[in-house]
Amino acid sequence: MAQPAPSRLGAVLAPLLALAAILAVWEGLTRALAVPAYLLPPPSAVLAAAAHDAGALASGALMTGRAALIGFLMSAVFGALAAIALGSSRLLEKAFYPYTIFLQTVPIVAIAPLLVLWFGPGLRAVAVSAFIVSVFPVIANTLAGLRSVDPGLRDLFRLYGAGRFATLVKLSIPSAVPSIVTGLRVASGLAVIGTIVGEFVAGFSEDSAGLGILVLSSYRQLRTDLLFAAVLTAAALGLALFGAVNLVGALLLRRWHPSEQNR
Amino acid sequence: MPLRARFSLALVALFALFAVLFGCSKPADPGGAARIKLALNWVPEPEFGGFYAARDGGAYKKAGLDVEIQGGGAGVPVVQMVAAGQADFGVAGADEVLTARARGADVIPIFAVYQTSPQGIMAHASRGAKGIPDVLASGTLAVELGAPYAAFLKKKHGFDRAKIVPYDGGVARFVADKDFAQQCFVTSEPIAATQKGSDPQVFLVADEGFNPYVAVVITRRALFKEQPDRVRAFARATQEGWRAYLDDPAPANAAMGKLNTSMSAATFTAAAAAQRPLIETDETKKRGLGTMTRARWDTLAQQLVELGILAKAPSAEEYLMAVE
Repeated sequence: MAQPAPSRLGAVLAPLLALAAILAVWEGLTRALAVPAYLLPPPSAVLAAAAHDAGALASGALMTGRAALIGFLMSAVFGALAAIALGSSRLLEKAFYPYTIFLQTVPIVAIAPLLVLWFGPGLRAVAVSAFIVSVFPVIANTLAGLRSVDPGLRDLFRLYGAGRFATLVKLSIPSAVPSIVTGLRVASGLAVIGTIVGEFVAGFSEDSAGLGILVLSSYRQLRTDLLFAAVLTAAALGLALFGAVNLVGALLLRRWHPSEQNR
Repeated sequence: MPLRARFSLALVALFALFAVLFGCSKPADPGGAARIKLALNWVPEPEFGGFYAARDGGAYKKAGLDVEIQGGGAGVPVVQMVAAGQADFGVAGADEVLTARARGADVIPIFAVYQTSPQGIMAHASRGAKGIPDVLASGTLAVELGAPYAAFLKKKHGFDRAKIVPYDGGVARFVADKDFAQQCFVTSEPIAATQKGSDPQVFLVADEGFNPYVAVVITRRALFKEQPDRVRAFARATQEGWRAYLDDPAPANAAMGKLNTSMSAATFTAAAAAQRPLIETDETKKRGLGTMTRARWDTLAQQLVELGILAKAPSAEEYLMAVE
């Protein structure tokens, strides 16, 4: 039932052409309708702002990227460990899983100022904010993966007298990897969002501003072009993190898992 | 078991990575000099010019202080940070100081940058308003609901004729709508709106009778008790910095411009000029920059009680001990 595989060239060209078309329409419309630049700047103005403030965007991306990466890695490690702990016993899962959902529903904007008080201003509060926002999908997906191990294989392990640890490490975790990667994909984008929100209230770290501060102050100055440039830079960070997760996932899975074959 | 070993090795490597990522964020541990942290409640702007002038011009160093200025953002909990000891000094509004004290945060004011509150209401000049009552009579007004100044205006003039919407921190809607008015800092939004071709007209809330000190430097009372000399030295060096900034804002503006890249050099200059009459008044010419009087604090406390924000007015003796 295989579909005819699209050519590699097409796979690269199609999204690029779509992007060019969207940018052309955007540029054309803002010019034709004379939309004030502070309401919606044309792509050319955003590009000019990005070039003019390249230094601020680069150092902002560095600050934001570092905090997002720390928050994301914390989510990956603690999220996976928490899910393994919960998955080891139905009782534990029943007792604690409902409270992990709490993490997902926490309005991060409301508690971000408290994070600053609890963890100190700057990087720490920002990274924790990224962690809180991004950990739930890791827990939920890892747990789902651990729960959906092939029962035939589980019986096989039992038949051969495998211990709990061996079953966990050699069967449950490997077969949960695709789900974990899915959770990490979702978490990668959320981590960047959590970072930006954290930066709104956590202020500067070591005398340099992250993208969140840049967004905040350029909005106050009505520099909508710079605001767009900062938002796009943040999106690029999320995309880079997402790409890294995909790459690691593909490397881990391509040998044996159907989801990464036939690509 | 090699598998188990590999598993724990991976964990150790991850934690090491955290240590590296977090580690490089920490500045060198305090050595001999007194390292002091000042937390701002907004990003570096002329509102904080004197602090940067004191840091870069050597006033703090001369006083034996190594001051780190922590730039802020939106809703940074400065008062709580100072109360909790995460910063030694902070910048906040006088009304925030009194409400925080009423909730148990033992912070005290030591220096007031703005003698006249820069809080204002800005409307389009084309509306021909003569004062805040005219602005409140029609159109749309964006204010930070819950802010004491807004409660004061509401009590005095009523908010029932204009359409009241939340303030969003920007001026985009103002520029786009001739009947739109909003709260502002004299030093900020009117300049941004003017640069976008608008004709803003600003009315100070202070002229209506609500005039708290703004950009007040605070510290923990405990810190003042332990090291009164250091706190006083910080206040004096800050005063020196503000004197230098009023005389020549250019060097500090350049330093702040490097941190706050969205604000142009021209805007820095314009804001520094706009705030000057609010900082240097007849009062400060007699008593020195940053001066505070008991009468002003008592008035504010009384007003906050009348607005229902404070249950009872605190006695100034409780918090004005560091004022010379």
